[in-house]
Amino acid sequence: MQESEIWITRIFNDHFAGFANSILGIVGIHSKRPWTDSMVMQLLVALLLMVTFAILRMRLSADRPGKLQQTFELVYEFVQGQAQDQIGDAAKRYLSFFGTIFLFILACNLIGLIPCFSSPTKDYAVTCGCALATFAYYHLMGIVANGWRYPLQFAGPMWWLAPLMIPIETISHLARVLSLTVRLYANMFAGEQVTLVFLNLTYLVAPVIFMGLHVFVGVIQAYIFMLLAMAYVGGAVAHEH
Amino acid sequence: MTKKMLLVVAIMLIAASALSAQTRDQPFAGGHWVAISAAFGMAIASGLCGLGQAKAVASAVEGIARNPGAAKAIQLAMLIGLAFIESLALYTLLIVFVFAK
Repeated sequence: MQESEIWITRIFNDHFAGFANSILGIVGIHSKRPWTDSMVMQLLVALLLMVTFAILRMRLSADRPGKLQQTFELVYEFVQGQAQDQIGDAAKRYLSFFGTIFLFILACNLIGLIPCFSSPTKDYAVTCGCALATFAYYHLMGIVANGWRYPLQFAGPMWWLAPLMIPIETISHLARVLSLTVRLYANMFAGEQVTLVFLNLTYLVAPVIFMGLHVFVGVIQAYIFMLLAMAYVGGAVAHEH
Repeated sequence: MTKKMLLVVAIMLIAASALSAQTRDQPFAGGHWVAISAAFGMAIASGLCGLGQAKAVASAVEGIARNPGAAKAIQLAMLIGLAFIESLALYTLLIVFVFAK
């Protein structure tokens, strides 16, 4: 696969390569051009989100909400409604993770459609990071909510089923990480490849239709990632709570 | 009856783990067969996922026809179901793109 860089990555590699190599040197990786497209674009998306929320925070007002506040109130109510469907009334303490993962993945998916930018989520490392973060989060929340009785739910409904249930449950939990990773990665990667193929065949109009489909797919996949994260947290937390 | 089945399954699993421990010193020499098998795999995956999505959409449309008031909820459930089924076809497309140079 060819290693072409977008303009931001070239700027980062020209000026900040030493900084990245010093961090990568901790795990023993050295490279001439250490910044990848997905790494730079992830930082850009995080920066954009933080700037948006900083502006939102400055303009919060109970009497005369502006358009930005109303938009994010819609997003907040949407996330809260979905979380209450999946988890129940204890959903409020997990909303920060769900909202963040939804907005981050949504922004990552959509920023690839702007010319001269690329989606971080079409790199499997990025989606694997999101999936591992979700995995760690729902296990951690399960331990926080249920204490040290949390691993007992892997043993199944009856104690003598445990030697059969524990491997099945372990594999199923690991398969959750795999499916979260591959679903998001395959959707974004395949969408981009299909657009590129049609760009190769017909130069003007047909790729636009596929980019429209890519917008739709990006929104749906971000929503599904958040929904599955909620379902996993609900399953981990709701056990004999 | 079930104890014998469990014994057979256990023996098969042990045999599988022993048989799979072969040396892999030759590189992946698929050649032209990769393209053919990728095409067939993708065709089968797309066809079956098309059938699955057709069933999902058919039940959703019938549900909306019976109960037009629940149209939004049914539409949301249909979209979620379609996205899950779509991902299954995309897993196969991923293999095509990873193995086809």
